Amino acid sequence: MTRIIDALTWWWGLLLVFGVLALGCILLPLPFVIEIVIFSIYAIGCNFLLGRVGFISFGQPAYLAVGAYATAFYLFYAGTNPYVGVLIGIAAGLAASLAIGPLFVRLRSDYFALVNLALAVIIYYLMQKVLAGVTHGDNGLWFLTQIDSTPVLDLTRPSQFLVFALLVAFAVWALYKYLDDSIFGACCLAAKVNEDKLRFLGYSNFRIRLAAFVIANTTTALAGALYAVYLGFVSPEIASPSRAADPIVVTILGGVGTLYGPIVGAIAYTGMKDLISKLVGNWELLIGALVVFIMLAGETGILGTAEGLAKRALRLVRGGGRSEIKTMRGSKV
Amino acid sequence: MSVGGDILQVSDLNVAYGEAKVLFDVALAVRPGEIVACVGRNGAGKTTLLRSIVGFLKPTSGEIVCDTVSLVGRPPYAIAGMGVKYVPQDKKVFSDLTVRENLELGSYASKDYDWSRVIGFFPKLAQLMDRKAGFLSGGERQMLMIGRAILGNPKLLLVDEPTEGLAPSIVTQLRDVFRQLSARTALVIVEQNLPLVCAIADRVYALNEGRIVAELAGPDQIRPEVCEQYL
Amino acid sequence: MIDPHLIPSGIVFGLSLGSIFFLMTVGLSLCFGMMRVISLDQLLYYTLGGYLAYSISLAAGSLWVGVLGGVAVGGLAGLAVERLIFARIYERQVTFSMITSFGILIAGVGVIKSIWGLVPRPVSVPIAAQIDILGADVPVYRLVVVAIAALVYVGIWLFLHRTIIGKAIRAGIEDVEHVEGLGINVARLFTLTFIIAGALSGLAGALNAPLIMVDPQMGLDVMAFAFMVVIIGGLGSLKGTLISSLLVGQIVSLGSLIYAPLAQMAPFAVMLLILLVRPTGLFGSPLLKR
Repeated sequence: MTRIIDALTWWWGLLLVFGVLALGCILLPLPFVIEIVIFSIYAIGCNFLLGRVGFISFGQPAYLAVGAYATAFYLFYAGTNPYVGVLIGIAAGLAASLAIGPLFVRLRSDYFALVNLALAVIIYYLMQKVLAGVTHGDNGLWFLTQIDSTPVLDLTRPSQFLVFALLVAFAVWALYKYLDDSIFGACCLAAKVNEDKLRFLGYSNFRIRLAAFVIANTTTALAGALYAVYLGFVSPEIASPSRAADPIVVTILGGVGTLYGPIVGAIAYTGMKDLISKLVGNWELLIGALVVFIMLAGETGILGTAEGLAKRALRLVRGGGRSEIKTMRGSKV
Repeated sequence: MSVGGDILQVSDLNVAYGEAKVLFDVALAVRPGEIVACVGRNGAGKTTLLRSIVGFLKPTSGEIVCDTVSLVGRPPYAIAGMGVKYVPQDKKVFSDLTVRENLELGSYASKDYDWSRVIGFFPKLAQLMDRKAGFLSGGERQMLMIGRAILGNPKLLLVDEPTEGLAPSIVTQLRDVFRQLSARTALVIVEQNLPLVCAIADRVYALNEGRIVAELAGPDQIRPEVCEQYL
Repeated sequence: MIDPHLIPSGIVFGLSLGSIFFLMTVGLSLCFGMMRVISLDQLLYYTLGGYLAYSISLAAGSLWVGVLGGVAVGGLAGLAVERLIFARIYERQVTFSMITSFGILIAGVGVIKSIWGLVPRPVSVPIAAQIDILGADVPVYRLVVVAIAALVYVGIWLFLHRTIIGKAIRAGIEDVEHVEGLGINVARLFTLTFIIAGALSGLAGALNAPLIMVDPQMGLDVMAFAFMVVIIGGLGSLKGTLISSLLVGQIVSLGSLIYAPLAQMAPFAVMLLILLVRPTGLFGSPLLKR
């Protein structure tokens, strides 16, 4: 019986969050929710890298493009099954990060960030100019009509695609939660804080970082694949370096290193962009200022601040008591 | 408030690195003209103590007073400007600059352009003026670091493990320099070299795991065997 | 393969490109060397420099006044940002400054968009003349840009090696704590470094304005190249920045004579090669923990 309760306790957070998201579809327009779901998946890779491993990557668009274009090539040139397309996107992301990871992961954190951005630029130029023969350059690849209607969940219909996306997201979050709670998660945090001690314990920093890199970027490629299937269209714009900041901003907004931060951040970011564009038109100023403000104030983002306030409120309610030892989550970036 | 003209008074000092506490209720005093030594094993907190005094670390609680002025919370360059100079244990000088330029920086900061005292203590430096400091030996670097630090006639000089890794002849030279220096500059020397410490120190504090466990004074107490007991 | 006639102009083009890269990245490199922060907002001052050059040259009729304006505004902006924001984050890790400075960059681009709008603006070249070098027509303006960059390099070198403050900065690039321990006010040194960086980035933008169209994204467009230059040259080294700027400039320029699309990517390949051998770039400073 206790096992069932334990299992439920583990799952309750996930169920709650995704339940709320699913309900959100009733209140919010469908494209908005789909955008948030895919964007969250895009962001969780970045969030994981930054919050758990301590690596900031300005080049997430690169891996997004890898996944998106792989799926696009399949659906445009080869087959019509969107599920296969998504799988191919994931495989491409896996392959790419396994190939690049061993080199990138050895670099110091600041060089790592810069190098990833350079990679995004390269992929952008590749898709836009060099491989324009296959990618059709800026015109992009259009394959919406070529996607099969699939049984069970017809991915060509937005409402059913949303269900699919939610299921995928749920699985992704379950994976990350599992990683968080596992030894691997602890190792990542340890590697971020003190490499030497971890090495003395017998763990390989390199392997831990490489594993984290591959997981995070494969997730990003998955988001790219989803974008491709949802939009039925991929263009080099997806790798545009000017969008390099998006996942990072979302990560900061939602809270670095928090599990549900990407979702909160994605909602905040997409919402603000929409809302503020209509009202003020100059949302970049606001986003930029917000990022700076959050960093100066304590970089825990919306979720982190909410967590902090909730904890303080709880303590007041329960009355007195020493503050607990700060978890790694509280340590500085 | 300082008592009876102490150059330095540290009381109830607690220092932590983030959540990890390193120094616990440390108290010590230095009088003008004194050489005070601080001994302890590796990791006892000696370097942390010195760095806290000169402002590179902010204590969680406690007082540090130099000549009636509180040092806590001031930036390190201000504390240096007040005549409290620090010679770290890393034997680092500005390697891309020449010896002369290293000293020039010291003069620029302290507004003291008279190098005669420095050359008096370390005649070797006069020959090395145009050499890039990166090419100096360990002993020469230590001389440069101390020479740089005493420009401006500081009231108090804090030296962290000066003789570590140096040849005995240089150690002897430093010992004599410290003795002569103490006439105008009070000294706090952190050292593992107990014989040296016992030869020149007026008082010795023993530090163990972040606490002062003994304060030794007088020739009977300031002996290597006695110090060893507290480590 | 390559038309030999085009080589001299290709080299000059590469030199002028490299000059702009140098002016743009030397600030980034100095700020890292001294303060161990990555100041992505330098790209904002670059953009500001470009726009100031545009507006002032329209109003005053002379690009050179615009260049002075770009330098001044770049320096002032650097001063403001350093005092208001960076001064609070020096003790943090390097990635922290990356994110924060990126936020400043984005916010600044937003401000520029609201002031000047989205449409790219052309800036007229002050010297339209071309001279003949080895049978190729080379725009004089580009040569002037190279000359200015060379002067700037010499000027910075003299500053760093012949003035006491410059020596303090060089010492600070090695070890700021020791400099502070001597009693030198490093806070002021940091501010000065930032002002110099901002002014140089503004200069880069202003000088580049006639060669490209100024648009709000121009800073972000060159961001990747700036990164490649600093990675290859190594953060914190003046000499490294100069060498890698010129190198990347030539690679892009001569490379595009061979095969244009690959030329944009060639620096990346070079960067990867260099990183394999020297993970901190050719002359990079180590990331000292404070």
